[in-house]
Amino acid sequence: MTLVRAALWRLFHPRRTIKPTRDGWWCLLVAVGLGVAAINTGNNLLYLLVSALLALIVVSGILSEQSMRGLDLTGVAPDEIYAGQPALLGATIANRKGWFTSYSVTVELLAPEARALESTSRFIYVRRVEAGRERLVTWEETLPRRGRHRLTGVRITTRFPFGLFVKAARPALTEEVVVFPAVRPVSAESLRRLGESGEASARRRGRGNDLYNLRGYRAGDDPRFIHWRSSAKTEGLMVRELEADTSQNTRLVLVGRGRRGAEALERGLSEAASLAVALVRAGAGVELAGPDCEVPLGHGRAHLRRMLTALALYDTEAPRAVPAPPSGAEARRSHFPLREIRIALA
Amino acid sequence: MPALLALRLVTYLMVCTGVAALYLANLIGAAGAVLVVLAILVSWGHEHARERGAVRPALGWSLVAAAAVAIAIDLFYLAYSLLDGMVHLLLFLILLRLFARRGLRDLRDAGLLSFFMLVAAASISFSLGFLLVYITFLLLGTWMLILNHVVTELEQAGWPGDAATVARRVFFRGPLTQVSLVAAAITLALAAGLFFVIPRVGQAALPLRASIGRMVTGFSDNVDLGSFGDIESDRSVVMRVYLADEGLDPTTLPGLRWRGVVFDQFDGRTWSSVAAPRRYMQRTVAGDFGVGLPRGTGPMVRQEIYLEPLGSDAVFAAPRAVRLEMRSPTLVVDDMGGLTVSDSGARLHYVVESEIDTPGRPLGAGHRPSVVMTAAERARYLQLPPLAPEIARLAREVTAGSVDAEAAAGRISAHLSTNYRYTLALKRQTALAPLEEFLFVRRSGNCEYFAAAMAVMLRSVGVPARVAAGFQQGEWNQYGRYFMVRLSDAHAWVEVYLDGRGWVAFDPSPRAEAETEETPGRLSLYLDAARMRWYRYVVNWSLRDQVQLAASFHRQATDARVALAWPRDWRVSPAVGTGAGLAVVVALVWWLGRHGHVLPRSGPTARIPAFYERALRLLARRGLAPGVAETARQFASRVGERTPDRAAAFDRLTGYYERARFGDAALSEAERQDALRSLAALNARS
Repeated sequence: MTLVRAALWRLFHPRRTIKPTRDGWWCLLVAVGLGVAAINTGNNLLYLLVSALLALIVVSGILSEQSMRGLDLTGVAPDEIYAGQPALLGATIANRKGWFTSYSVTVELLAPEARALESTSRFIYVRRVEAGRERLVTWEETLPRRGRHRLTGVRITTRFPFGLFVKAARPALTEEVVVFPAVRPVSAESLRRLGESGEASARRRGRGNDLYNLRGYRAGDDPRFIHWRSSAKTEGLMVRELEADTSQNTRLVLVGRGRRGAEALERGLSEAASLAVALVRAGAGVELAGPDCEVPLGHGRAHLRRMLTALALYDTEAPRAVPAPPSGAEARRSHFPLREIRIALA
Repeated sequence: MPALLALRLVTYLMVCTGVAALYLANLIGAAGAVLVVLAILVSWGHEHARERGAVRPALGWSLVAAAAVAIAIDLFYLAYSLLDGMVHLLLFLILLRLFARRGLRDLRDAGLLSFFMLVAAASISFSLGFLLVYITFLLLGTWMLILNHVVTELEQAGWPGDAATVARRVFFRGPLTQVSLVAAAITLALAAGLFFVIPRVGQAALPLRASIGRMVTGFSDNVDLGSFGDIESDRSVVMRVYLADEGLDPTTLPGLRWRGVVFDQFDGRTWSSVAAPRRYMQRTVAGDFGVGLPRGTGPMVRQEIYLEPLGSDAVFAAPRAVRLEMRSPTLVVDDMGGLTVSDSGARLHYVVESEIDTPGRPLGAGHRPSVVMTAAERARYLQLPPLAPEIARLAREVTAGSVDAEAAAGRISAHLSTNYRYTLALKRQTALAPLEEFLFVRRSGNCEYFAAAMAVMLRSVGVPARVAAGFQQGEWNQYGRYFMVRLSDAHAWVEVYLDGRGWVAFDPSPRAEAETEETPGRLSLYLDAARMRWYRYVVNWSLRDQVQLAASFHRQATDARVALAWPRDWRVSPAVGTGAGLAVVVALVWWLGRHGHVLPRSGPTARIPAFYERALRLLARRGLAPGVAETARQFASRVGERTPDRAAAFDRLTGYYERARFGDAALSEAERQDALRSLAALNARS
């Protein structure tokens, strides 16, 4: 039973699809026409020509299969994709065959948006992939909306050797990705102007202005941070360590549920994402708060990704945040006063 | 060589090959072929001239328009046939593509159009040269298609820069060339295989134009004396007779001839058979014609005859033909045993079974001529025009004392062959009647004169006789086991009616002594044997041959099976056979599953392990489900927060899940047991 099911599954999900090109259709048409002529005339030389055409078709199938066989296409999607911004996607074509080179393969972008592109952008041609070697191909793709997005993927095709048939493998790179809201650059000046803030010292290393510590010079330290006076006193190079500037630790508060207008909602989420990115890059701690959307204060890239994920998946109908549980240190730090920026979702 | 240049070169060579095919099929003459090739060469250089602006587009298009009009007129009014008109149109289109070439597509189209030149040639040509053209075209065609594919893809990809110049920069060398050669070789081998196995199920319903071939004098209803003179110096091979019986020694068949037409009426200059009664025969269901009955006068010889296109309706065969296999639906048989078929295509290949008359062998019991010659028939074969009385006198002198007709015929034959000289110089020297001049003045002539003289002399002494024309047996080609009959083997002889034996052949011509033996070289024999095989195995390959081939394979397979069987009485018991079959099936399923050909790939990401699915179901009952964008670990953390007592168990399950699904190694037995225990812990009531 399993075998039958597997056979049926294979029947409806072939490893490769094959489709004649325009030249291929002509070839088939001429073969059929000549076949009819050969049968009706009994002329063996016409049979000879029909045989040549059929042989050409068979050889085309053999060589194209030889070219496609053993090719692995592995998609490479970036960790962060922002709506409306080109993301660099890629795929690695690996030739797992032990002996034969794969000739003339094309990576075809299947995204509907790609169909509008010129063929040079939609099809990435690889002249050959030697046995045991890999080729990386990359392309830009712009996903217009935030949220969960299933990539339409790419597939390997080939018209090798005669250009009569297009043989295509199954699509790769079809997994779901989370597209973050569109972000815009936010200047430091704008950040400072935003909202009222309560300042507090956080006594930790960072990129602020106050001195945190002096320590011995280690290879790789920025020479600009050498503290010459202390170095002179200790007769060894000393460098300054700065305290993190926590004056910008911020709570981003989403106001409203965004049910009044999609445009205002998207604008608000985009603003929140932009501020979150700018603040985290500036070294600030950021907390996200809103209706059914709570990401406690945190720092760093992983924290930023959590917030952006929450914003990307914000749903007015069934909002669900996906916050990671705050670590103990971050929980302790959350009692520091934060400045609050309110963002209206309308 | 740059790919684009190689592509151009190969395409031009393909077109030239197509032109060669047309020339071989006589669809264009030598002058036409040279003109077309010159035009092709001009088109090669024309692109540079066009790029320099040396050719005005208006002038070019005017020429094209004029040529198009000329081709249209040719197609509908001037061409010898529609096929000729289409060929001219095809040549025009190809040259137009080459001259007005703008891109790769035009070049490719010219190459592909040239295939139709082969199609046109195939419809009427049977020459061995076609094979050479075919192989060359196939090699060039596969090359052209691969080159075109590569260059087109590069151009479309715009790699690595300007598309127009890319193709010129990319060099076509190394491994891809080898691939092209391999592709061409496989295509050729496959085409050969397919050719032999594609079933010849069809019946010829739309006969294409079969070339009539050169008109040959001497094989029609009316033949003037001396008409063989022109052709007897022509060494072209016109007929190949393959003797199917491999055990037959050709040297045991002396005096073998290929009889074509028979003449009964003579007017002093011309022999004819116009008045001979004829009957039409229909082919039997078995596909043959029964044209006679065996009389037991000699061995039955099966001849497979391949005739070059010859301008005669006669069907040539060793006398006496008994059975004929031919593609023609009808056959005309005259009462002298002359066979004619009007379908020139059908005459190109046929099989005849003949009973060879062995001189002196008595007729078998019950096989004497069933009908005694009637007075009217006797009068017919004794018919003579007004002739010089010297001829009759000479006949009486020669046959004086002969006891019977056979003796008389023998004496006349001997007289002519010993006292007269064989020559092809047939210039008239007097105003006398041709036969009189031959017998009394010139005393030399070709076989027709000898045959005519003997027939007339026999008739003048009251012995019924007639003249038969055909070919001598020709040269035996030991490489192909067939007789190679040349046009110069055209021959005439006499058939004499002998009471009690019927018609018996006599050849009074001393031709054999006169002819110098020209032994063909070994190479020429090899080539002709190749040509014979071409006719035998390609041009005339039929359903019957396919059946024979299949039977031969079956026989050989059976022989091999018997030869390999050891011990000879060993038989596979059903149990062993079933077991072996099952083992093969299991091995096949395993192999296919492992290589992913039939079963869905069972890789690490195929599906969620069952234990994790169950864990998810258990948690779902408690209102805990993974988020859409939540990873397994994030979900495990969340589960830990909500139900701390189950955190450890689910953490372990998550770890096993990640290993089972994303890791390369399967879980060990201990790990599986641990996973089950964790599952039980997860399910335990708190």
